[in-house]
Amino acid sequence: MKGTHVTNEADATGRTRTPRRPTRSSWRAGLLRGGIELRHLLRNPKEMSGHLTNVVVALLVAAYISDDVPGTQTPMGHLALAGFAAYLLFQIGLINLPQMLVTEREEGVLLRLRATPGGIPAYLVAKCLLLVVVAVGTLALLLGAAALLVDGPLPRGGGDWLTLLWVTTLGLLAVVPLGAAIGAVLPNPREALALIVLPTMGLLMTSGAVFPITSLPVPVQQVAAVFPLKWMAQGLRSALLPDAARTAEPAGSWELPMVALVLAAWAVVGFLLAVPLLRRAARRESGSRLAARHRKAAGSGSVPA
Amino acid sequence: MTPAVSTDRSVVHARGLTMTYGDVDVLHGIDLDIHRGEIFALLGPNGAGKTTTVEILEGFRQRSAGEVRVLGADPQRGDDAWRGRIGLVLQSWRDHGRWRVAELLAHFATYYPDPRDPAELLALTGLTDQADQQVDRLSGGRRRRLDVALGIVGRPELLFLDEPTTGFDPEARREFHVLVERLARDEGVTVLLTTHDLAEAERLADRIAMLVSGRIRACGTPSELARRAAARAEVRWTADDGTPRRERTGDPSRLVWELHRDADGPIPGLEVRRPTLEDTYLHMVHQEDDDADGDVGGEARTA
Repeated sequence: MKGTHVTNEADATGRTRTPRRPTRSSWRAGLLRGGIELRHLLRNPKEMSGHLTNVVVALLVAAYISDDVPGTQTPMGHLALAGFAAYLLFQIGLINLPQMLVTEREEGVLLRLRATPGGIPAYLVAKCLLLVVVAVGTLALLLGAAALLVDGPLPRGGGDWLTLLWVTTLGLLAVVPLGAAIGAVLPNPREALALIVLPTMGLLMTSGAVFPITSLPVPVQQVAAVFPLKWMAQGLRSALLPDAARTAEPAGSWELPMVALVLAAWAVVGFLLAVPLLRRAARRESGSRLAARHRKAAGSGSVPA
Repeated sequence: MTPAVSTDRSVVHARGLTMTYGDVDVLHGIDLDIHRGEIFALLGPNGAGKTTTVEILEGFRQRSAGEVRVLGADPQRGDDAWRGRIGLVLQSWRDHGRWRVAELLAHFATYYPDPRDPAELLALTGLTDQADQQVDRLSGGRRRRLDVALGIVGRPELLFLDEPTTGFDPEARREFHVLVERLARDEGVTVLLTTHDLAEAERLADRIAMLVSGRIRACGTPSELARRAAARAEVRWTADDGTPRRERTGDPSRLVWELHRDADGPIPGLEVRRPTLEDTYLHMVHQEDDDADGDVGGEARTA
């Protein structure tokens, strides 16, 4: 039958083998590439101000709120700062990364690397390096500036630092592969932003990141509890707030095993989705697709030719 | 370089290459042979299947049927070592806009086992003065020359140029042609060029294949094609009833002699033309258009 014809490279028998395990040379190329991308980011005022604005907003909010978390002696500002810290990680994985992927796919970066031996693995290595440095840098800046300027919270003792480390790591593992999967399927940069920002904002409001979750209706809490942001924020609160503040948590405790479980589950789901979707996105790239997208973009007048 | 380099003269070998999208046949059994060191032009109007053909050869698209070898391997199963032996220049690349020219070239050199020296490449492509310029500030012609530099940084044996001069002004086009010639003549790179511009194909190519509606309609050196095109002359004259007539023939003098004899004197409006390659090409393209319209066209074409 004619219907069984392979009409699309997406249903290829998979012999193109584009993204494979990085070899030593593509690790090296990837790290070099990540370093250069990082330098470009630091030199780009527009993107840098995007990251810095988040930090400034968080500091202003923390300075402005003077109440305590109900039923505790912990300042509300500390809870909000822990929530913002979680949101920054969340945003890097689920907004910045997909946007970067969609934009670079549209410009032809992905196609060029696909045409280069070892290019796709190097690209992934570079992106991971970039994300980790940006995430750690933003987090350090937020917590450091908050501690200096608005008497913000810092981990007390080795246990808290360890919690901060593993929650950050697992949090990134939960959102980065998921963000990569989203970036692989989103149509183009113009629609991408609208498609991700709204749900993300919704989660920020309902996850108890910036105000106590107990003040929200229970069904809303239950929906938010499915997503990683609530658990990232909760884990960071456990690292940053005094232990007594756990009375304000919905469960009356930090639920760290649950934090680890939910974030690990999202990491697994993310990887399971991201690997085939990225593979497919890379395999689908070709000159004619790129040209077609550029024609479409030029037609809508949003990208200068 | 690599032991995998074959001594075979054929760099690209395709037999019965067919591509079907759904029920639409885009390529109807194409045969191609591209030899080491030559510039080969795939000439055809837009929509003829040039890009599809090239993307199959590049390993970016799965063919529906046919046998294809590029540098001795099936492009669908091309691995990294194979990828490193081909270079691509596409018309749609506008990537890495924030990078600086020299930085980008030096970075892509790290992916290949035996790359060219980036500084030498800048000189070869005439971009030495732009080395520190940001890529998205380059003019169209320079951007494309940077794409060529990136395409050849890994010393490819085969370079694909997909409509490389689209949108160029004449000056940029001339400079680009000089660069491509230098690559082939001095560096021994085999070049597969797609273009819809016959003049460009004649100027650059050792051999031209005319691809119209998914079929190779003619293939040969520019002079062979021109000779073949001129082989059948067109004779025009005015018939007794005053209507203009024309006929294509391999033996125009015989036809003229017969007309002269029949008219028993001078032939009114007599004209004998040897068609150029361009006439033939346009004829092929328009013939396909007419066929597609299901319309024979106003003027009668005598065989």
